[in-house]
Amino acid sequence: MADIFDEMNQQAGIKPAYAELARWIAQTPADQLQHRQAEAEALFRRNGITFAVYGEGGDPERLIPFDLMPRVFTGTEWDMIERGSIQRARALNAFLTDVYGKREFIKAGKIPPRLVDGNPAYEKIMQGFTPAQSIFSHIIGVDLVRTGENEFNVLEDNCRTPSGISYVLQNREVMQRILPQMFRSGQIRPVDHYGEMLASAMESVAPADCDGPPTLAILTPGHFNSAYFEHSFLADIMGIELVEGQDLFVEDDKLFMRTIRGPQRVHVLYRRIDDSFLDPEAFRPDSMLGVPGLMRAYKAGGVTIVNAPGAGVADDKATYVYVPEMIRFFLGEEPIIPNVQTWQCGVEDECKYVLDNLDELVVKEVHGSGGYGMLIGPKSTKAEIAAFAELIRDNPANYIAQPTLALSTVPSLVDEGLAPRHVDLRPFVISGKTTELIPGGLTRVALREGSLVVNSSQGGGVKDTWVLRGESL
Amino acid sequence: MLSRTAQGLYWMSRYVERAENVARLLDAGRRMEGLPGSDDFAHSEWASIIIAAGCEETFGKDKLEKADRETVTYHLAFDRENPSSIFSCIEAARENARAMRGAITKEVWTAINSTWSEARSKSMEDMAEGKYADFIDWVLAFSFHFRGAVNGTLLRDERLAFINLGKNIERADATARLLDVKYNVLLPRAHEVGQGLDLMQWQQILRASNALLAFRHIYHESTTPPRVVDLLVLNRQFPRSLRFSYEAICNDLREVGLFTRAQRSGLAKAERLLNDLSQLSALEIIDKGLHEWLTEMIVETNQLGIELADAYGFFEPVMADTPDLDELEGTASNSEQLQHQN
Repeated sequence: MADIFDEMNQQAGIKPAYAELARWIAQTPADQLQHRQAEAEALFRRNGITFAVYGEGGDPERLIPFDLMPRVFTGTEWDMIERGSIQRARALNAFLTDVYGKREFIKAGKIPPRLVDGNPAYEKIMQGFTPAQSIFSHIIGVDLVRTGENEFNVLEDNCRTPSGISYVLQNREVMQRILPQMFRSGQIRPVDHYGEMLASAMESVAPADCDGPPTLAILTPGHFNSAYFEHSFLADIMGIELVEGQDLFVEDDKLFMRTIRGPQRVHVLYRRIDDSFLDPEAFRPDSMLGVPGLMRAYKAGGVTIVNAPGAGVADDKATYVYVPEMIRFFLGEEPIIPNVQTWQCGVEDECKYVLDNLDELVVKEVHGSGGYGMLIGPKSTKAEIAAFAELIRDNPANYIAQPTLALSTVPSLVDEGLAPRHVDLRPFVISGKTTELIPGGLTRVALREGSLVVNSSQGGGVKDTWVLRGESL
Repeated sequence: MLSRTAQGLYWMSRYVERAENVARLLDAGRRMEGLPGSDDFAHSEWASIIIAAGCEETFGKDKLEKADRETVTYHLAFDRENPSSIFSCIEAARENARAMRGAITKEVWTAINSTWSEARSKSMEDMAEGKYADFIDWVLAFSFHFRGAVNGTLLRDERLAFINLGKNIERADATARLLDVKYNVLLPRAHEVGQGLDLMQWQQILRASNALLAFRHIYHESTTPPRVVDLLVLNRQFPRSLRFSYEAICNDLREVGLFTRAQRSGLAKAERLLNDLSQLSALEIIDKGLHEWLTEMIVETNQLGIELADAYGFFEPVMADTPDLDELEGTASNSEQLQHQN
């Protein structure tokens, strides 16, 4: 692994964007820092910002660890991240419109048809359908990693129902309480307009027959879902109803919610349940979470579903390889943020290379998520590598491999004090009439020393992400 | 507002009120048990608490004869199998609050959630001799904390109206039940109705309803059954009386809004019951047979609850009215009148 790039402490000294923060740390005794950290955690718990974990014993409502030390981007860095993420989102939506429409990308031989038609996320029912504004994925989480001053890569796209935005906004809320002096200069760009941004994007894709202000709603599987806090948080900041399947019904190809005054039409539904549960008439017949007839209403133009069913065909690790080509094909541009070099085990030559170099590579399941079902070569024993090689040989098309990236680090507050920990970044791109994002995103941090896995299920935490107007505070 | 939200808020509030009222019943049991000369009749006192709580089925009818402080207290305070036990009520209130987290304030949520955390570590030990009253106070304090948070932090809108509606329906039911406790308690033969132990038992009912001081304040006279009935059933100022509860129910329904025929008919039923209450006297009720009359009120209140749940879509969606014949004819005659005037 190459040298690790620390975003604050660099060869030339402390990066100017972090100078003010470094001064504060130098002046603050270690026990004070820990005290502030505890204060932040108390705020999170009091506000009920927990994620539910059932069936593992212990406290069923857990906190994602919050790291007091923020991550800072300069205006210049952010400009590149912003343009790169928007470009990516535009290309992914163009690809989805094409896949379910004319299929020119496939016809031009840019992607093997089996990766589309054989993809479990591909929804046949969507073939031939174009949603309002040609947007399939209205909210896309683009997972980015950094390996050097100007070296960013996209690690993964999340086109279905990416989560984590509530942490972005709550992290900021907590930081503003704990370190108000840092915000006085007005250099840190605000993020609290996310709700308005999302609501206006949703309004811009309302069905054509909606002649007043559209009614928006969020569909949640219910309060036992691990992301329920985020669902209710989003409903709150947008001032819209949080509904469950039982609150909704379809009549005359229109969607209604059950209120005490009688049925009320819903024009745009931001669903936070998976495709397969959306509509028992169209997908899993045993789904109790969805709404019978929803897909019928959707295809008849009676309601808009955000994100569209079938959007997942654009975001798995096998499709990922082709995103740079999508950018060239649909937008006629060169990718602003490159992919990570990826070997597809489904391709014979590439599979051979992977098997020969397992001790240096990261291998992932094509459809896996959450940091499960993966091999990190340099951190695995010979026996673990041999066992994983068997899995790859059994079903090569199920795996891709990437070099083990030296993810950048940011100083983080751990029990021993400040120490560098690896991070990634998930900005949330919103697409409606326009494509935009708030200046910020979810920085996840691997709090275990040396760990590269940032997922909350594997000991990851979160940091506030500051985007500066200029180069320093 | 979503019907499910209305339902969740209504039940959250009912369960808090039920926890309080079950605690009041246990308090009545404790107080009657402490009366001199009641030792031989302890079983009937504790059994009457189970009957008044409507928990004969879950307690086991065959076990009623052997009901005592230990078994009744466990069943009404801690038994997870009893959906009306104090613990079950607090847990159900919390489940509803959690599902409706977006519709209530942090203060309301905290009131329920912190009590729920405490409740999980409580046991029969906390209701041992000498601690019994503290436990009752803890439950009442929870209910007061919850109501205070509701009144102090919620917007005056339909959400608050459903929370109040749940409380008032539950309270109307509970006060009738608490009063009915007396019907099932046996008296020693030497005691006559209206004297000695009988009167002391009535006083304990008043105490359990937080009504003894109110009684003195209003009547300045000794406790007699008609006066107790007057206070707990007919008084307009006492906040736990049936009449007070029904007046509040009618107001809550007007506050919630009446959008359909079923909803208007729910209010009409509540108004009819209120009207009955405002025309009766305590002596008339006793003449009809207090127990029979109370039983009827409990049934009516229960039915009203079901009708309202139906009318506001707790079970099936609320549908807009289709105009019926009467209304159409009404419209026609109105327009005719207008034409005549023209």
